[in-house]
Amino acid sequence: MIEVIEALSDVTAPLPIAETNTNIYGAQLTRRGFLKTGGTLVVGFSLVRSGVANAEAPADTPIRAFDAALVGSWIEIRPDNTVSFRTGKSDFGQGTVYTAYRQIVAEELDISFESITTVFTADTDTTPEGGGTFDLLGRGTPNIRKAAAYARQALMQLASEKLGVPKEQLTVENGVVSVTVENGIVPNAGKSIKYGDLVKGQNLKLTIPVVGELTSIFGLNVTGNPPMKPVSSYKVVGKSFKNSIIPTKVTGKELWVTNVKLPGMLHARVIHPATLGSTLISAGKVDKQKYPNAQVVVKGNLVAVVSPSEWEAIEVASQVAEQTKWSEWKSLPPQAKLYDHLRNESDWKSATVSKGRKNIGDTAAALQSAAKTLTATYAMPYLKHAPIGPTMALADYRPDGTVTVHGHTQNAQALRGQIAMMLGTTVDKVVIKTYPGAGHYGRSNGGNAGAEDEAVILSKELGKPVRVQWMRNDDMQWSTQSPAAYADVKIGLDANNRISSYQIEHYMPAGQDDRLIGAVLAGLPTMPAPSEKGGILNNTANGPSDPWMYDAVPNLTELCYGTYQVGQKASPLAIGLRDHTMRTPGQFQQNYPREIAINDAAALAESDPIQFRLDHAKDQRMMNTLRRLREEHGWESRPSPSPKAAASGSAPIRGQGVSVMLRSNTYWACACQIAVTPDTGAIKVERMTIVSDPGIVINPEQLKRQVEGGAVMGVSIALHEEVAFNESGVTSENWYSYPILTMNEIPDIKVVLIHNPEAGIYGQGSEAPNALASPAIAAAIFDATGKHVRKLPFRPEYVKQMLKI
Amino acid sequence: MLTITVNGQKRQVSSPEGTPLLYVLRNELDVNSPQFGCGMAQCGSCSILLDGKEVRSCITPAVMASGKEITTIEGLPDRWAKQKHLSPAQAANTLHPVQEAWIEQQTPLCGICQSGMMIKATELLESNPNPSVEQIKDVFTNSAPSPHLCRCGSYIAIIDAVRFASTLMAKGGAQ
Ligand code: FES
Ligand code: FES
Repeated sequence: MIEVIEALSDVTAPLPIAETNTNIYGAQLTRRGFLKTGGTLVVGFSLVRSGVANAEAPADTPIRAFDAALVGSWIEIRPDNTVSFRTGKSDFGQGTVYTAYRQIVAEELDISFESITTVFTADTDTTPEGGGTFDLLGRGTPNIRKAAAYARQALMQLASEKLGVPKEQLTVENGVVSVTVENGIVPNAGKSIKYGDLVKGQNLKLTIPVVGELTSIFGLNVTGNPPMKPVSSYKVVGKSFKNSIIPTKVTGKELWVTNVKLPGMLHARVIHPATLGSTLISAGKVDKQKYPNAQVVVKGNLVAVVSPSEWEAIEVASQVAEQTKWSEWKSLPPQAKLYDHLRNESDWKSATVSKGRKNIGDTAAALQSAAKTLTATYAMPYLKHAPIGPTMALADYRPDGTVTVHGHTQNAQALRGQIAMMLGTTVDKVVIKTYPGAGHYGRSNGGNAGAEDEAVILSKELGKPVRVQWMRNDDMQWSTQSPAAYADVKIGLDANNRISSYQIEHYMPAGQDDRLIGAVLAGLPTMPAPSEKGGILNNTANGPSDPWMYDAVPNLTELCYGTYQVGQKASPLAIGLRDHTMRTPGQFQQNYPREIAINDAAALAESDPIQFRLDHAKDQRMMNTLRRLREEHGWESRPSPSPKAAASGSAPIRGQGVSVMLRSNTYWACACQIAVTPDTGAIKVERMTIVSDPGIVINPEQLKRQVEGGAVMGVSIALHEEVAFNESGVTSENWYSYPILTMNEIPDIKVVLIHNPEAGIYGQGSEAPNALASPAIAAAIFDATGKHVRKLPFRPEYVKQMLKI
Repeated sequence: MLTITVNGQKRQVSSPEGTPLLYVLRNELDVNSPQFGCGMAQCGSCSILLDGKEVRSCITPAVMASGKEITTIEGLPDRWAKQKHLSPAQAANTLHPVQEAWIEQQTPLCGICQSGMMIKATELLESNPNPSVEQIKDVFTNSAPSPHLCRCGSYIAIIDAVRFASTLMAKGGAQ
């Protein structure tokens, strides 16, 4: 065990009393005599170098040396009974760190929500943990929950010593430990002590076991099995506490990342290459007469304009961009040929082919003997994360080789590792500060959102703090995107109209490219482009991401094929259409074809699509969720298409559709009602019902808002979204060429949360509604018209065209 | 030198007259709530009130505000206090009903668009104190120069908050 936590700064030197250690469920409670003032219980961590972590983490990494001095603790309990906690996760609008995390900590410690007065998030120098801001509820046991559970046990140990009774005779309420009088007389019965008094004047430290790699995408994980509070006695979890960061955001008091300023700071605009494969021929010049303070900076293929004035930087950058010459490059497939290119011109062989986790039986043989068969291809375009605020970062590189980045990232520690790699330095030289900023839905969960490394490079070149703000078109054209994909499906039905054979082949280019784009342009080190030899973050393999839900199907084959990113191999910079996880990464690309295919199979079987799903499912939670959906939505139980279906005419026709998903222990079902006007192809999503069983609902109001948001983004994806590109690069450059849903297009959305404490776990994945909309809408279009739409998005031209078939 | 009233205070502006207000407010006057979203009047994240009318600060040159009055969300409490003739003591603890409603309804997700959304809501409620859901949708979608965009999908929460703000205003504010 390597101890990481040192005493807190406000702790004065202990009197020379011998140190004592107590083992608490695998954690170490250390007491080092008494303090004159203060006192705190600090829950810190030590790295257990074992298992997988051991192989990758030599015992003496520079990370540790740095963290030992600066990374504080998970939880701090102070003499005044207030508590603070620290998490490496950041907030992107989920509110989890300010609501669910506070509730979980309050619950495990039996303190009030309000007594948690400080939450530290995401800065590399003030938080432990690391890891991307995903899986926030840690598949039921987030780090912070275990840390709190250990802390509680330590407090009980202290209380039991102080009150002179065994721990079993103690109860806690609101941070007050009392001696219970259950079986007859107990010494000290009725006595109580506050948490604050237990730590007052003490020099206490609780060291808990942790495994993992701080700067990896997954960060550190608290291990061991401290006893946790039974769900049946929850008081704080389950209530709709308000998100504590909202008041500053609505009063103009928030320190957004965009508002951070440093003395002497320069504003930069980067002039990105003309194409995704261009190299620089010559950079334009600044008209120094007119703009004496502006300057062009060139490093390799990275060209930028800086000025003390932001508006000047913008104006000059557009002039310099006009004169800057780039080599030509036209090696992307034309957009109209994307799916041909993927199918016929891509290498699907070099990457490992993954199989579904529930593959069973012999699908080929079962298909041969099927009574009815269905063969179809489903396709999804590239999608943009499209944050409302384009990526922005401010870097301050110092002569001593240290750098501080002020940014907005979902994985500060990973970004820190990447910046250190780019600079050829150690991570102890890099600090990442994270502030609230525009949600970008997974784009930075591997570290960078786009502008951070460019800011570092420019700050180092200029010896001043540099703020890089991408313009709208930079963010649309030079950021990563959610990869396009297609799937081939073959389904066989038996004589009873049940699925006897289901085979699906998923094809998707590498979905995560965390290379620093500024480093690539400037010719500096960064991680390699995705390949079949890459690690977890840059491999071309495609894995199974969408859990199979139809366990009664006797023969199942799911295969996942991956390949290089489109254009990557043809670009001199290995930059093609760079991809990155978004919301339900990979799962959307697999759930969409599967769920439409199930609807198509139900139609072939002339069955009601909800009943058809129930007939093929075995998982009770899934089935309950679907049954609840049927009631709550006012679903008409009948096969599709609707008896009123029509594929022509100027009158809107209604249709209904359904989809389901299991994501991170949460069961989701979605039904929608749409109206389609056949003559125009226009779709109006009128109504949508989403039922969710996440197990334990931590905060109903926050979850409902998350679900609504996801559903709106889902309808946006279904109706509008598709990245446009030509042979040189992305041509979607603003909100007109990449439209998203507007307010008057939203459906009425009903969110139904099933609180299911028996599940005993906090489910998560509130981004699932994002994925649910598309297959449900496709099914509803079929219900209304009797015609299949299988390629996203369902824009009017495409719908009209499909209705004519 | 231009003189612009910002959130009730007269401010001298030394940026060149053609500089869009967004940069003047954020970089010269340290009024940071309007956010850069697109710089081309397509999203509404930079919206401010100019003499009570919502404009996009990213494309509005500073000179257009000369002698006029700008309100951003920092100035909403004062704007409300003035409209309601609140005493300084009352005003000190008051938020604008739009802000109260945005908190009560837990409207922001990431929140980057919400300053512009609240500005639009304030403009709407000052001319139509009791807008219907359809009117709210219409105003946030169809007023020039572009729809107000939220990528996090908070539109429902915005509608809920505008409706809630309307009831608060009818009662004379939150109390
Ligand atoms: S930033 Fe002004 S409208 Fe988008
Ligand atoms: S709340 Fe995130 S963009 Fe609107």
